[in-house]
Amino acid sequence: MDLKERVCGELQKEVPKGASFTKFNTQHQQKWEDPSSTSDYSTRIEPPFQAFNQTSQTQSLLLCNNQIKVPMQDGSVNDLLQASKIQDWDPSAMLNNLSFLGQKIHQLQDLVYLIIGRKGQVLGRPDELLVQQQQLVTADLTSIIVQLISTAGSLLPSVKQTLSAATTSLGQCGEFGGVVFPSSAQGLNDGVQPQNAGGSKVSEPPNSVDITSNNGNEQSNHIIEEHELKDEEDAEEGENLLPGTYEILQLEKEEILAPHTHFCTICGKGFKRDANLRMHMRGHGDEYKTPGALAKPTKESSSEPTIIKRYSCPYAGCKRNKDHKKFQPLKTILCVKNHYKRTHCDKSYICSRCNTKKFSVIADLKTHEKHCGKDKWLCSCGTTFSRKDKLFGHITLFQGHTPAIPSDEIKAAPAGTSDGATNKVGSVNFNLSYVSSESEVQSSSMDIKGGIDDAVGYFSPLSFDTCNFGGFHEFPRPPFDDSESSFAFLLSRSCNYSQKSGEE
Amino acid sequence: MLSFQSSKNVLSLTEDLLVRIYELLAAESDRKSFRLVCREFRRIDSLTRRHLRVIRIEFLPILLRKYPRLQSLDLSACPRIDDGVVSLLLTRVGPGSNSPSLGHWAWGLKSLVLSRATGLRFSGLEMLTRACPCLESVDVSYCCGFGDREAAALSSAVGLRELNMDKCLQLTDVGLAKIAVGCSKLEKLSLKWCMEITDLGIDLLCKKCVDLKYLDVSYLKVTNESLHSIASLLKLEVLGLMACPLIDDVGLQFIERGCPSLKVIDVSRCEGVSSSGLIYVVRGHRNLLELNAGYCLSELSTALLHQMKNLNHLEVIRIDGARISETSFQVISANCKSLVEIGLSKCVGVTNMGIMRLVSACINLRVLNLTCCHSITDTAISAIAYSCRSLVCLKLESCNMITEKGLCQLGSFCLLLEEIDLTDCCGVNDKGLEYLSRCSELSCLKLGLCTNISNKGLSYIGSNCLKIHELDLYRCTGIGDDGLEALSNGCKKLRKLNLSYCNAVSDRGLAYIGRLEELSDLEMRALHKITGVGLEAVAVGCKKLADLDMKHCEKVGDSGFWALAYYSKNLRQINLSYCGISDMALCMVMGNLSRLQEAKLVHLSNSTVEGVELALRACCARIKKVKLFAPLRFMLSSEILEILHARGCIIRWD
Repeated sequence: MDLKERVCGELQKEVPKGASFTKFNTQHQQKWEDPSSTSDYSTRIEPPFQAFNQTSQTQSLLLCNNQIKVPMQDGSVNDLLQASKIQDWDPSAMLNNLSFLGQKIHQLQDLVYLIIGRKGQVLGRPDELLVQQQQLVTADLTSIIVQLISTAGSLLPSVKQTLSAATTSLGQCGEFGGVVFPSSAQGLNDGVQPQNAGGSKVSEPPNSVDITSNNGNEQSNHIIEEHELKDEEDAEEGENLLPGTYEILQLEKEEILAPHTHFCTICGKGFKRDANLRMHMRGHGDEYKTPGALAKPTKESSSEPTIIKRYSCPYAGCKRNKDHKKFQPLKTILCVKNHYKRTHCDKSYICSRCNTKKFSVIADLKTHEKHCGKDKWLCSCGTTFSRKDKLFGHITLFQGHTPAIPSDEIKAAPAGTSDGATNKVGSVNFNLSYVSSESEVQSSSMDIKGGIDDAVGYFSPLSFDTCNFGGFHEFPRPPFDDSESSFAFLLSRSCNYSQKSGEE
Repeated sequence: MLSFQSSKNVLSLTEDLLVRIYELLAAESDRKSFRLVCREFRRIDSLTRRHLRVIRIEFLPILLRKYPRLQSLDLSACPRIDDGVVSLLLTRVGPGSNSPSLGHWAWGLKSLVLSRATGLRFSGLEMLTRACPCLESVDVSYCCGFGDREAAALSSAVGLRELNMDKCLQLTDVGLAKIAVGCSKLEKLSLKWCMEITDLGIDLLCKKCVDLKYLDVSYLKVTNESLHSIASLLKLEVLGLMACPLIDDVGLQFIERGCPSLKVIDVSRCEGVSSSGLIYVVRGHRNLLELNAGYCLSELSTALLHQMKNLNHLEVIRIDGARISETSFQVISANCKSLVEIGLSKCVGVTNMGIMRLVSACINLRVLNLTCCHSITDTAISAIAYSCRSLVCLKLESCNMITEKGLCQLGSFCLLLEEIDLTDCCGVNDKGLEYLSRCSELSCLKLGLCTNISNKGLSYIGSNCLKIHELDLYRCTGIGDDGLEALSNGCKKLRKLNLSYCNAVSDRGLAYIGRLEELSDLEMRALHKITGVGLEAVAVGCKKLADLDMKHCEKVGDSGFWALAYYSKNLRQINLSYCGISDMALCMVMGNLSRLQEAKLVHLSNSTVEGVELALRACCARIKKVKLFAPLRFMLSSEILEILHARGCIIRWD
């Protein structure tokens, strides 16, 4: 937009001296109103609307439209424009694009002429053929606009430098445009006309054209901005589909969580994949064994423009839900399934190795199990890493986190050499050394025993738990968690003691 | 009246004035005299004393109780520092037993030197750091067993600013990360020989400790990645990269663009660094004060010289081992006028003309190292002496062409000279020593392999250079007992003496040595004339003897060793290899010398395996390093070897 505005601004600066500008404008207005006033019944409301448009929208916008149309229609102007550009871009490619566009517009023109020719016969009657044609015209126009914008977009980086150079030629261009304009306006109007005639239900048909062109403008704005701002964003974000340009599908919760999506029409057996179903179908008769039946069903919709499908999560309030303010659609059904399970379902798969990590998608569990136990790099926050540099990256990022030092050496130190990996052995060793070190001071050890007696009293309801705990410890646990193991040691001691006292 | 006045003079001095006076006493001996004056003075001493270097552990509790306001405690010379001792000190030592202020001595402690405290482990270290909330500086260098756990213990000292972890061999990136996260105020860190440290650790350190001013990563296997991280340290002033084999010029490019405060850089012995790398450094840091590029340059290139023109503030440059031309000297002297120290050790191309050009403008030179610059003669020495009047240290080892004429010039002009190394300068003779003795400030004199000097020359030194504290007479075969007599009469401050292979020295000479009360370091290898009598004289006289090397003194008998074991209580290192010491004497020496930390006991002809075993058992609690005859490895009981190992003792098998 800003390009166009600038160009228009330049134009206005250039042109005002000539009366041709105003003349041209009025001329345009006349031309515009002319057919609408004469043509049909449904557009009685149109003239005021049109006038509103004319007055409210700045003339520059109109000029803009005009100016856009010019290069589309006339190759000579193209050349003029092209001549003023610098060599940043490939002029021959541009020429190709433009001539292609020109051809397309001519085709469209022909079509519209055809429709006009037929209009007289089918007027007032909603004809299916006409509706189809109308759709065709709109689609073609859209594609032209899109291509035009993309062609213009390729110029963008070089535009600012060449702007001053371009203005002179654009000055001429403006006058030229003035000459050519009527026909283009005619064309447009003509394009509008059948729509009015056909779609009688539409309340403001000519306006719809305006809207589309406005839309086009908006779109171009958007795309231009994108070009300027996020030129080098990564591909995934680059998808960034405009709202409305794709179809949103939303599966229900039950549908998402259903184990099978393909069911046999004969026996009712469910399958995850269509291919598996097809394989299954072979058993139901020879008719399912033909290459046609076994082949992957191709989409017949290749002829009509395929509408992009995106998916919405059924969970209200989720960012992936279509009602969310910053809705981000999901690409495939598989994405929906995984997303829903991961974020809105219980994590029912527990890793059998570490007994701590839980997953809701079984594939995630399998991925984790591949690496579980290999994470020997531990942070003080409890996060484990399989690689040292990842741990150090984590520590760099978070204030106060430090790498944890495996504590097996601590136990080995007082107990002498103990290769026992299990905690039980460690605690036994520790126990012994504790007693031996304390045996010198008899009275204090007695005190401690008394203390333990008390502790037994305290912990008596826990005795069952402690037993469990001991059993639990026979798992080869990662040798970290200093505090917990010492606690376990205390408990197991007290447990032993309580057993003894129970015997007594 | 007079007595009243005098007593008034002493007693009327208020406490704060006494404290001021006390603080002006620099030497330890003066302070000792001060506190022996009277009780009041002793009280002042105990209240004011900030630093304590403990030599015997048995006095530590008393000393800690006596000096409540200690800020700095040095336990590096103390054997037997281990977790148990630390825990005892923290739980038992206080103003009164069971008072809440137990371990009070640790509260104000700011500096702790635990160098070579190999018996200490992480639990003791953790107790110490927990007990000392104000700790700012810790030295655990050469605690070879220290690793990540010890680092984790240290990291609880959050106020730490200086940390020396040289040769903590088990330290890895994990431990370093602990310290980097825990001690984020760190300003000075030395990690020499911590061989397990990699780029990851250094990178984390540089991100967490942004206040670092001093960083030494010498001998580490770090790469240019580390230099990239180090370059982000805005306050870094001193960077030690000595002998880092994996860094090269590309890494120094990072330094060019980073470290805006860099003042000192040491890239000596870095194999990958060439002159282009140094060009980067010099180009990026115009305010460099010290550049150490020894043994990494093959030649002082013109491009580098061109860049060095801009180093107007450069004070120290060392380019040992490089080829250097006479014009280079011209450029250096013309531009680096503030140079104070130049190291040209083993440089090729150092000529008289070059030196003359150098000293013509660099008149502020204080330290000049010309080791192995064989082609310089008296002409160069004269030029140095004439220009650099403030010269303090001159190293001329292996400069064979120097004669008494050069020394005459030095003795005439360089009266501030404190240290001169004339090792292997065969041109030095008695006359030369006479000239040199005019430098009355001389404190360190090295005359090893100067075979042309005799007792006469030494007597000049003994009568004039009264401040000498280090003298090297290695293989000065012309020196005999008379020279030592002259020496012992004059140089009362001698602390370090090397008499190895001075064959003429006999028991009489050692008796003179015994008069040197300050002597702490005596090397007397292969003195074949000396016997137990001589050793006894030394042991009785030299009370401060800490390091004794008497390898190959085969005639010394047990009487000498008995005396040694009885008198030399301060002995820390001993070399008894090839001595005829008996089992009994060995046990006595090793068991009785309570400060002994290092012993070399190879080829003891008169002792048995059982004797060595017994001797080791007698000292196993405090010994930190021992060198033994290799076959003993399989003859000694595994128990004693395990004990030694558990105590952090390093055994070298020879």
